[in-house]
Amino acid sequence: MNTIDSDSGQAVEPSPDTPSAVPPASPAKASALRTKLARILAASGVRTSEDKDAPSHFGFGVEAIDSALRGNAKADGLPRAALHELHAESKDDRTSAAAMALLLAQRCRNLDQEARPVLWVSESGEARRQGRLYPPGLAELGIDPDSILHVDAPDSIAALRAAADGVRSPAMAAVIIELAGKKPRGLDLTATRRLSLSAQKSGVLSLMLRSNSDPDNPLPTAAFSRWLVAAAPSLALEANAPGHPAFDIKLLRHRSGLYGLSARLEWNRDDQVFREQHSEQSAPDTGAVPALAAVRTDHQGTRAA
Amino acid sequence: MVIMAADRQAVSLGLGPGMKLADARARVPDLHAFDHQPLADADLLSRLAEACERYTPMVAVEPPHALILDITGAAHLHGNEERLAQDAEDRLDAAGYSACWALAGTADAALALARHGLKEGAEAQLPVAALAMDAKTHQSLERAGLYHIGDLAERPRANLAARFGMELTVRLDRILGLEDRPIDPLRRIGNVVTERRFAEPLTHIDGALTCLSELFAEASERLNERGQGARMIRMMLFRCDGDVARLGLETGAPTRDAALFKRLLRERIEALNDELNPGFGYDLIRLSIVASEALAPQQLRLEGGEDRRGDAVSLVSQLSTRMGRDRVQKFAAADSHIPEQGLLALPALNAPPPVPWQRQSPDNPPMRPLHMFDPPQRVQVIAEVPDGPPYRFTWRRKSHQVMRYEGPERIASEWWQRKDGQQPGKGGLTRDYYRVEDARGRRYWLFRHGLYGEEKANPDWYVHGLFA
Repeated sequence: MNTIDSDSGQAVEPSPDTPSAVPPASPAKASALRTKLARILAASGVRTSEDKDAPSHFGFGVEAIDSALRGNAKADGLPRAALHELHAESKDDRTSAAAMALLLAQRCRNLDQEARPVLWVSESGEARRQGRLYPPGLAELGIDPDSILHVDAPDSIAALRAAADGVRSPAMAAVIIELAGKKPRGLDLTATRRLSLSAQKSGVLSLMLRSNSDPDNPLPTAAFSRWLVAAAPSLALEANAPGHPAFDIKLLRHRSGLYGLSARLEWNRDDQVFREQHSEQSAPDTGAVPALAAVRTDHQGTRAA
Repeated sequence: MVIMAADRQAVSLGLGPGMKLADARARVPDLHAFDHQPLADADLLSRLAEACERYTPMVAVEPPHALILDITGAAHLHGNEERLAQDAEDRLDAAGYSACWALAGTADAALALARHGLKEGAEAQLPVAALAMDAKTHQSLERAGLYHIGDLAERPRANLAARFGMELTVRLDRILGLEDRPIDPLRRIGNVVTERRFAEPLTHIDGALTCLSELFAEASERLNERGQGARMIRMMLFRCDGDVARLGLETGAPTRDAALFKRLLRERIEALNDELNPGFGYDLIRLSIVASEALAPQQLRLEGGEDRRGDAVSLVSQLSTRMGRDRVQKFAAADSHIPEQGLLALPALNAPPPVPWQRQSPDNPPMRPLHMFDPPQRVQVIAEVPDGPPYRFTWRRKSHQVMRYEGPERIASEWWQRKDGQQPGKGGLTRDYYRVEDARGRRYWLFRHGLYGEEKANPDWYVHGLFA
């Protein structure tokens, strides 16, 4: 402990160019002190409060999908410190895609020990026309509305800037940015690369939510994975009432070359996990596409040529 | 038409305020007359008041054409009071204004002296008109042989009050400096004010910004001594030609962090509509902390790592500074059962502490939509019976077949908010909400506006929200 005292004694020497009462130690010195301290703490068996053990990956909570997403990585699921893209299959699936993004962020939040907010960035014009987030509805999905920091950006460029600031700040659990249209202004490879790099550095999950886009012919982005989300018929409750939220998801792109993964998921609010919707319980009486076999993993681990 | 104001040349020709324009034209046929613009005058006066804030933060506007500067404790910066007043006159002169000024112990005395062109100590020589009572009082005072304030000063106050009213004695005392009245300054004084004067005006923005950062460091040192942090910071950049640029910053939590200040300042400058123009240069830069809150001296965590709460707050401050405080929001529940009125989106900068939202009963699907339309959007609905659930609806030119539904959930209007709301038929329309799912699996929140047959013959349908 003597070493620390003598070192920190030097560190608080007033430097001439900063007039504040307690000048901050120089970053290099501070980091040197920290490594020293970490060594001492490791030797003495004291655990640091930095949650080093917080998982680096998150998943849907469905075993089959999470393990299929493993790819070349060390853990199941998707990496947190990355940019992921969610496309609404059509204009009417915007709400489902938004819910999927919020629920993934929520699952990610649940991994942390301390509660951190989720930054939601959207364009004000789009929110006015297509509906805005309704806090009681968030609460109904099992998301605490107080955990959402809502940014109502005037345009897509301001939204991207706000999101970039959010991703850079380790105080956020996740950043969700919603951009509508086939080609929003300012959204390009550079912007997404900036988001992706910041996410890798800060460990903040960033999700890009795209509605009214062209999922078959998407803009090139630096996202780690790209998903297609659509609403799916729910399993009816008593008296033919609409049931729990149901989604059709499809993996369009993955850094490890996975593709063809698709599933129909249902959100379980009480356990905060997704589960697969089993069509045999009640076949959708709509004649719509029946749920596919949950996972097709033939291409696992191989890069798409 | 009457002359409101006349310039020096006009006065020398015998024209002046109060004279009829026709009479004036008769004397001076080629005079130039302009329409009186009281608003423009008031605007100019308040701009001059701002420019005078370089001398003291206590500047009050005294319409129609006076400014009061409380220079208590501020005169030493210019040497003495005379030199300060002279400096102000010189600057006004340079800007093309002629000003009469006077120094006195009280605001009213100074005003009266300046209006009658006298200097300090000459209160006794002021005419009774300086009391600014009505013309009748002035006349009766003069009839009584009291022409000057000095004549009144010796009289017993009780007699004067009995004859002319209390008002006169109060005004008299104020002019004589026996009683003071508070002035109403343009702005509240900051808790901490730091400023820097330059002999040679600063003509570069960068220099000015560096100076502001230094001033903030000084101010935060003083805040540190009091155990406080800044919440609201006001900056004024005085240009030597009298123009004043004002900048304001607000933070989400009390701060003394110089790095955060620099970041916010940069955001603020970028967000300006008309950018800072140093012109001939700034000769005075002032930074005041207008609002501050308690902030304990911070200690770094022993094992390192960042303080995450602080980071979240500084992110909120930064985004609010750039986009405006109303664009960065937190949700709060409001006390209303009408769905679209049950929430508030408050600025995150000073959001109230969170209150728990209503808990959901387990194993129920969501009863409220994730996205809401405000106002609700019209839909065309085909129902099997007029007061029954929807069977098919058309929204945005697309037809949707209802496969599943649940409802109605009946939500009454807030009849107690309406006039005669307790009377039948005046309480507003009841809404019947249905949760419906169409063939593609999309879930909608529809409502029928009005009870069929009772409140409305042919109720309209609306879609109010979308479920996940």
